Amino acid sequence: MERQKGASLEKLTPFDRKLFDASGIFTYIGSGAIGGKAQGLAFIKETLLSRISPDAYRGIKVTIPTLTVLTTDIFDNFMRQNDLYDIALSGSRDDQIANAFLKAELPPDIVGDIRSISMKYHSPLAIRSSSMFEDAMHEPFAGVYGTKMIPNNQFDPDSRFRVLVEAIKFVYASTFFKEAKEYIVTTGQRVENEKMAVIIQEIVGLRFGRRFYPQISGVARSYNFYRTGGANPEDGIVNLALGLGKTIVDGGKSWNYSPAKPRALPPYNDLKDMLKSTQTEYWAVNMGKPPEYDPMHETEYLVTGNLADAEKDEALRFLVSTFDPQNERLMLGMSVPGPRVLTFAPILDIGDIPLNNLIGDLLGLCEEIFGHHVEIEFAVTLDRESGLPARFGFLQVRPMFVSRNAVSVTEEELTAPGVLVASEDVLGNGIIGNIHDVVYMKTDSFVEKESRIIASHLEKVNHQLAAEGKPYLLLVYGRLGTSDPPSGIPVGWWQVSGAKVIVELALPGVRTELSQGSHFFHNVISSQVGYFSMPSAGKYMVNWSWLKNQDTFEESEFIRHIKLKAPLTVRIDGTSGRGVIYHG
Amino acid sequence: MSSKAFNPFVMAQAQFDKAADFLNLDEGTRELLRNPMREYHFNIPVRMDDGKVKVFRGFRVQHNDARGPGKGGIRFHPHETIDTVRALSMWMTWKCAVVDIPLGGSKGGVVCDPHNLSAREQEQICRGWVRQLARNIGPETDVPAPDVMTNAQHMLWMLDEYEAIYGKKMPGLITGKPVGLGGSLGRTEATGFGVIYTVREALKDMGIKPEDTTASVQGFGNVAQYAIRLYNQIGGKVVCASCWDQNDQTSYSFRRKTGVDPDALITITDRFGGIDKSKAAEMGYEILPGEAWLEQEVDILVPAAIENQITGENAGKMKKSVRIIAEGANGPTTPEADKVISERGIFLIPDFLANAGGVTCSYFEQVQSNMNYFWEKDEVLGKLDLKMTSAFQAVSELARKRKLYMRDAAYMISISRVAQACKDRGWV
Repeated sequence: MERQKGASLEKLTPFDRKLFDASGIFTYIGSGAIGGKAQGLAFIKETLLSRISPDAYRGIKVTIPTLTVLTTDIFDNFMRQNDLYDIALSGSRDDQIANAFLKAELPPDIVGDIRSISMKYHSPLAIRSSSMFEDAMHEPFAGVYGTKMIPNNQFDPDSRFRVLVEAIKFVYASTFFKEAKEYIVTTGQRVENEKMAVIIQEIVGLRFGRRFYPQISGVARSYNFYRTGGANPEDGIVNLALGLGKTIVDGGKSWNYSPAKPRALPPYNDLKDMLKSTQTEYWAVNMGKPPEYDPMHETEYLVTGNLADAEKDEALRFLVSTFDPQNERLMLGMSVPGPRVLTFAPILDIGDIPLNNLIGDLLGLCEEIFGHHVEIEFAVTLDRESGLPARFGFLQVRPMFVSRNAVSVTEEELTAPGVLVASEDVLGNGIIGNIHDVVYMKTDSFVEKESRIIASHLEKVNHQLAAEGKPYLLLVYGRLGTSDPPSGIPVGWWQVSGAKVIVELALPGVRTELSQGSHFFHNVISSQVGYFSMPSAGKYMVNWSWLKNQDTFEESEFIRHIKLKAPLTVRIDGTSGRGVIYHG
Repeated sequence: MSSKAFNPFVMAQAQFDKAADFLNLDEGTRELLRNPMREYHFNIPVRMDDGKVKVFRGFRVQHNDARGPGKGGIRFHPHETIDTVRALSMWMTWKCAVVDIPLGGSKGGVVCDPHNLSAREQEQICRGWVRQLARNIGPETDVPAPDVMTNAQHMLWMLDEYEAIYGKKMPGLITGKPVGLGGSLGRTEATGFGVIYTVREALKDMGIKPEDTTASVQGFGNVAQYAIRLYNQIGGKVVCASCWDQNDQTSYSFRRKTGVDPDALITITDRFGGIDKSKAAEMGYEILPGEAWLEQEVDILVPAAIENQITGENAGKMKKSVRIIAEGANGPTTPEADKVISERGIFLIPDFLANAGGVTCSYFEQVQSNMNYFWEKDEVLGKLDLKMTSAFQAVSELARKRKLYMRDAAYMISISRVAQACKDRGWV
């Protein structure tokens, strides 16, 4: 693949303590591979940045934040010299594995370099995985491994070094956490073959008191699997959020729009719905009082803030509209008091800050370079007073898998005899014909407190079916993979990763649209899962009576698992968005 | 190896004089630094296991403490001489200064052969040594450490005696203590790793990748073993290592072109550091004469055994392929050999720079002991790497700028630092 050719070590800069000055350098330590995530960035650095004219976007500077990659041979040495494979591949709990890794020692040939990073760099750092399996074209591993963000602002370099070292070990340990191991198995890979490079990267952001965050973080995709707002799939989709990108990748509330129609509002029912459904909390790096020591927790050094905090920080100036309750309308900006709504309208509507043009152009360029639809992650800082100059930090790029095999599903087919499920809002494309297992939620009522129990039941069934290599149809109520339990089932992708087709039935009064920037969603698409959305009072229904008549294979309070003698036939028309599942 | 009578102190003074000339040092400073500031010579009477009293001769030489408390090991050796101790104390001064740690140079010794002494007798020597010197050593004056034929056990006996005399805990008195009793993680690896940190930096300066190099190592003691491990880890390949055979009273070299595996060899090594020849042969090693380590077709030579090994007589046996010599041992190269090495343009990493990892980590141990707070190994080795790398870079930069032999450049840096400290204190 050309992408890998572009990221060979020969073309990158080896880390050198004498030259390290924290100014946009992409370096590596070690002599192994740099992993999928770093490869994407290295390739982009070589091929894309030079094609962006510095003056093209009126004061927005595009950069790849300074980063150093610890190559995979360091991971190998770390594992070998500390004899960690025994515990890593055992059934030990995540915290036991993390503890063993934290007690282990980094290879002696790199600790000096790591220490010199701590000595010379005083701003927040993100310690991210860049594994051999991760981010490869057909191996979606987005969000499976740990990322740790650290403030790196302690006065004492020893403290900074300790925290950085712990973060690296945590990311190594996350390779063997339950979630990752189960997921690796479902992709047909072997856990012991995984090798982890680690990216130590400057966090793009500004300090606001005891918090450090970018005013905008975002995920943009050049292909939109949801056809909303009159935009074409090829127009792409962008998710924007205040604060660190964790909000988006975890599937939290964010602002969705199409780069072709930046002024079009997302399909909210009304303004009150919008107030309820837009982002009100954000993630930031904690620059204040050190947290309780908890190196095994990914969010150890993160804090959340709400819109009032961000307003005090004066971070909302270019990001919000204000709800005018008397006139029941939104006012652009924050010149009047009232509830702030994160619509990003001052940027998207006015266009003085040409962020949308930049995102659109970057998607186009990345698509051209990769030869595929792509997904990019970014963070933006704006001048606090005037918005510009701004900095656009390019955090990640990865190709998206989009099936191009044409399947046609007519409207008549949706009501044909033998239909189990039909929908006009289906993601994916193609025919799937080897599903004998169906797992579905037994209850049509949904209670928030049960959602985590349901998630654990789903995990158990998934584990069993994945181990047997049996794909299955999953039917659930509410939004799957949400980080907001009232609106659905808070599963991680690994807990349902063996599902080949997912039917998501909307809860009454809850908006069904998924957070498209989420890693969960990326994994759905990259794994070529068929995804059926069913509105709560839609034209088409699930044939529950047929399902209930099948013999139960296994059952819990919330979940029923049936095994069918004849396989289901699933047909998804990627062009029209129609899909249908026939029972045998 | 050399048949000539060898006086290390004469050699140390000759090296100092050369550097002093380069630095144009004034007469008073030369006089001060050419000789130790203080020497203690004393008797240690010990009642032996057979009931008789035997008197052992002990020394402590404090060469210079202008930059901080003295630091240096205690040697138990049957052929110990005051001149050896003097020379070693002077080298300790330069070693601490070249890695820029706030310590001076000392060395001590006892004329004895621990192989012929029971544990109780050795303990009595240790306690007697401390009783004689308790007023002249201490965490803030002079900090001993293990050296030739002394170990962590000896240090604990000495510490215990010292604390008994003063009636309080003072783990910062001495270094080389076991981990858990005031010792530092990383101390075992420190000297050998330090050697390779400097080799790594030398290779970077020369634009050579470690994976394109091979090395031959003299010795298979602690320094050599960890040097081989880290060198292998950064991608190099050690093809030959030598060791002393206690039974045959000679040394042998063990060559394997596919690479020396220290973890396997350690399993067939006796307590004197001798490798079992027949088992090594089964593992695919060729058994060669002791001096063969020097004659290998390699890029890097690491003398990591004892002093006076590369001489005017045998320096010519080094192959043309040799590009770097890293002195893991103290004083392995004679001034005659230095000339050959310099003329051939071989890059030399001098002993008191290359093997300063040990004293640097001892300093870390002392700091930790004084705080009674101990660091993780990552932290120790991270700090060690930075200290060694910074020291190497300072020396190599001076050597490059002034076109000096590396040993001369290292001496110039250390001597100028010590001379400046003496001057700042108003001594000269």
